[in-house]
This record gives sequence, structure tokens and C-alpha cells, in this order.
Amino acid sequence: MSTKPTPAVLLQNCSKWYGQVIGINDVSLAIDGGVTGILGPNGAGKSTLFKLLMGRLKPSSGDVRLFGVDPWESTSPYRRVGYVAETEKLYDWMTGHDFVSTLARLHGMTREEASDRASHVLEFVGLADVQNKEIGKYSKGMRQRIKIAHALVHDPDLIILDEPLHGCDPIARTSIMSVIRDLGSQGKTVLVSSHILDEIERITEQIVILHNGRLLALGNLHAIRDLLDKHPHRIMIRTENPRKLAEFFVPEDPVYGVRFSQEGALEILTNDLSAAHDVLPRVIVDSGLKISSIENPDDNLEALLGYLVGGA
Amino acid sequence: MFDEDEIVDDSLEPETVQTASENEVDSELGQTRMEVAYGAGDGDDDAKAVVARKASMGVLYEQIYRPWNGQLGPRWVRNYAIFRHHVYGIFSSKGHRHYNPFVRLSILVIFLTSLTPIAMIFLSVTISGGEGSDWLNRMWGVNRYNLWGQVLGYFPRNLCMWPLLTALVVGGMISDDRKNGTSAIYFSRPVTRTDYTAMKYLSSAVVLGFVIVFSYMLYYTSAIVFNGEGWAYLIDTLPMFLGGLLAGILLVITYTSIGMALSSVSQSRFFAAIGFLAIIFGTKIVALMIELIFETTIFYIFSPYDSLAHLGQWLIGIPANYEHSLALSIISVIIYNAASIGLLITRVRSLEVTRE
Repeated sequence: MSTKPTPAVLLQNCSKWYGQVIGINDVSLAIDGGVTGILGPNGAGKSTLFKLLMGRLKPSSGDVRLFGVDPWESTSPYRRVGYVAETEKLYDWMTGHDFVSTLARLHGMTREEASDRASHVLEFVGLADVQNKEIGKYSKGMRQRIKIAHALVHDPDLIILDEPLHGCDPIARTSIMSVIRDLGSQGKTVLVSSHILDEIERITEQIVILHNGRLLALGNLHAIRDLLDKHPHRIMIRTENPRKLAEFFVPEDPVYGVRFSQEGALEILTNDLSAAHDVLPRVIVDSGLKISSIENPDDNLEALLGYLVGGA
Repeated sequence: MFDEDEIVDDSLEPETVQTASENEVDSELGQTRMEVAYGAGDGDDDAKAVVARKASMGVLYEQIYRPWNGQLGPRWVRNYAIFRHHVYGIFSSKGHRHYNPFVRLSILVIFLTSLTPIAMIFLSVTISGGEGSDWLNRMWGVNRYNLWGQVLGYFPRNLCMWPLLTALVVGGMISDDRKNGTSAIYFSRPVTRTDYTAMKYLSSAVVLGFVIVFSYMLYYTSAIVFNGEGWAYLIDTLPMFLGGLLAGILLVITYTSIGMALSSVSQSRFFAAIGFLAIIFGTKIVALMIELIFETTIFYIFSPYDSLAHLGQWLIGIPANYEHSLALSIISVIIYNAASIGLLITRVRSLEVTRE
């Protein structure tokens, strides 16, 4: 008889209440392997979920398991876990190398092992040239990357990153995304939280959507998008003459309606977003009008959540 | 590796970007219109842009992740890492806990002050033969009262030195982690709360012990060495030395327990330090006032210092200053330690790291 492998992360009917405030409400999920994006607006429960996984909070009800072990009761799973908190206080007086090697020693590495491994992970996250600089002098992006370095120093199987791109400049974002993708491609289980859909989309297709502490959706981002494509979508076009432009759009098949919700703007309503985008260039050229912008107001997390909770 | 020069090369000459009107515009495909739509062109024929010709963002740095195949050490290796992080921080912040320079200076001053009897013994030896030498030896030499005073004397040690030392060292031991959320650094690793607490306790006790107990041992050893004493002296004085040593260790343990408990209930090292001083001095002052008014020493059992002093007097073998039973003082010391350690364990075990 074959035994079912234990997933890296398992939550069963898990809830966490802060007094009257809901952190996580009856969430059940299992995650194992690859990069998974945890999406949700601020206050959705992403950080609470991670803190429960890391044994920093005790669940009010339900079970949390990391590699099959309750993280509140035992620290043994942390040998295999690397965690980057959203806002974590670092030892600012230490150099980057000292900090990472000190934390490596907390995992039980010898001095030499810790030093070698610290140098390697600092190089991996692109901080090799500043590893002897005090952390207090690091930029926000560097601080985020050193947090990733200390989470990787013991070569964990599960990496939990709470808003790792928050406050980073574009170069830091690009490099951190690259690091995350690379880790995922090596077969590690990586959980990344964000409240920005676009960020997660650039990293992974596997997502979990949380809202008000509840699990709203789980699975492949494109599959979820396909489901959403059956819902009405809007395309907002800003032009000098919206009414004239509307005349050209109304006969098109994918378009089932138009709206003039703002001055100088035409809102196209469609049930098939891809088909609408296909006809868009031709219709604009035919109209001969100048267009100042084209937006998809529904292509963001808020809109996604709106559909999922049935409000939009 | 990442090279800034690869992104922007200042030496490059500007070049002119062709505007939409200069292009071959395929009006059927709507190229110009789409450029307008996405803001690539604005219809201004004279529009020019300056760009870096070789701008490249392809590779930021060589990114190779090498898995680690080593074996992580056992529990004691992790615990030793916590211990050394705290103890070595007294001497160097490089890779260790940061102690404020004022705290380090205070520890040094208190340690040096606790060694003053050694200097006086040395002085008595150098001027040997005169009345001054005898007086110095009586005042500072090894005897039961001086051994007791070296660790348990109220002035200056237990009024100005040991409580202040404890407040400075232990005050921020856990409260700093609670305030800053740095306990999360430990709790996201295979470090149990018991190990975390035990190692913090041990490192605090070692620092206090170094100043209080080590200075006591140094004092006794110097007296033997400077006076050239033999085995007979050693046999005569060793029991009372060991009694004082035990009293010193009990003092370190009790002060550490109370200090750590206060540190665990606070998010401020200041509160923990002031709370500790308030307990040591407050209970002493109240008991003293009650003794002066009602002529009873029984309330000294509420003072950790006096309970330890009473116990120390018995261990070294000098007459007690207290009328109440020694058993009450012993029970007081046990209760203070048990209550403090119980509180410490409860607080750390239930500690939810909600702030980072």
C-alpha cells in the first residue's frame, strides 16, 4: 500500500481571530512544489496565514501542518523552511555577511559552513559587493534581498516570502522576481504574497486568492481568468469624440454595449475580452479619431475580487 | 555581476529618435494611431528624445543557486550560537548582540570597582611591616566579613553596583526582542522557546557571574598569591570562601531570574530595568522603615537582597543581622526564583510574535 506524500503546507478549516477581528476564516488548502502566489488586498489575511505557518500565531481553530508537523508545537519543520517577513527588524549594526552567517549558525552550521554559505546566498541575491557594509546603510531593495538571503542560507525546501517586492525599486523587483522564479524552477515550494496581481503574474501562474480572511480562489491564474472572461468586461478608451467612436464599435460582434461614463471617454462592454481586443486596432483606424489612452479597468486584483465575491 | 555602467553609459552621445512622421506609416495597420493610443508619439513632428545608445538591462548579475548538502548541527550547536551571540556581544558587536557603549562602559567600571580590594591587598603587601599594612589587611584582607561583603555587602555593591549591572544587562534581554520583533528571527528557525529562554538566561547569568563571582574568586586568589600563603591558610579559609562562592552564585541566579521575568513581561528595557531596581530597593526600604517603626525584621523576607544576605551570612558563618528565622529567608529566595522563572516560561511559551 502506498502512502500519500505529506504536502509542504496544509491548512484544515483553519481560523484565527484577533478578538472580534477576523484574521483567517475557515481556510483549507494544501500546497506542494513550485511557486504559488498568495493574492489579496491589504487585510485579506496573507500575513496572518504566513504567521500561522511559521508558528508565530496559534490558530483559534483548525489545524496547520508544515511537512506534516504542527508548527506551533514543534520547531522541527523550520529546518526545511525559510521565511521572509513583510517588515522584519534586522540587526542593523551587523554587516550583511555577519548577519546571514549568524543566522546560519542558528540552524546549526559550523562557523566555516555558515561563512561559506552566507557568501554564496549573498552572491545569489546580488549583494556580494555590499556584504561587508552595515545593514543599517542598505537601501530598501537591499534589505529585502538580505531577508531572502537569510531565508535561503540553510537551503530550505519551503520558502515563504511575505510581500517581498514591497517598496522595492524596479531593478530590485526584477532581481527578486528572478530569484523567486529560479528557486521555483529548482523544485522548491515557494509561497509569495502580494496585493498586486501584475507582480504575481510575472512570477507564477499558480495562485491563491484571499479576501477578508476567506479563501476565494485556488488554482491556475489563467484558468481563473478564463472563468472571468465569461463575465462582462469593460474597455475604457479616451478620445476627443467618444460618441463618434461609439458608432464604429456598436456594430462589432464582441461588443454588446457602450457607455459614456466620463467626459472624453468611451466605455465598451464586452463578453469576450480577447475578441474585443482583436477588433480594437481596426475600428480605431476606421474611425480616424485620435486616441489618448486605452485601459482595461477590470484587469486588476480589485476587479478580480469584485467578480469572485459577486459584487461586480 | 551587476554593473551600473551596463545600464547607463554617460559617455554615450545622444541620438535622435525618429518621429512618427519620418517613419513609413502604414495607415491601414494603424501604426500611427496605435502609437498615439499607447502614448508612443504625440503627433509633434519636431519631437526628439535623448537615450543611452547601449542601455541594457538583460543580465543584472550572475545568478547561480547552489544547493547545500551539509548536515545541520544538533540542538546544542544552535544553543551555543544563541549563547555566544549574547555573551560575545559584550566585547564585540561584530556578528553578536549589540550592547550600548554606555552599558559596556558601566560593566567595565563596575568590574574594575569590584576589584579594588585586590589593589588594597597589593598595597598592604608592598608597604609590609608598618601599622598601615596591618590596617589595610584588616580592612581589605580575607576574612569572613570581607568575603561576605565582596558579594553581599549592601554598600557599595548591592546598592550601587550589582542591581545596576543586572538592570543594564538583563533589562533588554527579552524586551528588546518583543519590542523590535527580533524574537521572530529565532522562532522562524529550529529554536524552541525553551532553548531561546534558557540560553538568554544562561548568557545573562554568565555576564553577571563574570563580574560578581569571578571578581570574588580573583579577590581570594590574589590574597593568597600576594601574601604568599600556604596550604594551612587555604584549609582554614576555603570553607568560608566556598560559602561565599555559593552565596554569590545564588545572588546571580536570583537577580537574573527576577530581571529576566520583568524583561519578558515588558516591551521596554527601561521598564524592566526600573522594575528590577524598584523591587530590590523598594522592598529593602519598606522593610527598613517597618523595622525602624515596629522593631521587627520579618518584612525583610520580602526583600530579595536581604533574604540572600541572610542566607549568605549563614553560609559564610557570621552572625545574622536578622531576627527572623533563616528558613523564612531561604523560602523567600526559593519563591522569588520559582515565581520569576515560572513567569518567564509562561510568557515566552505563550508569546505570539505579532510585531515584526
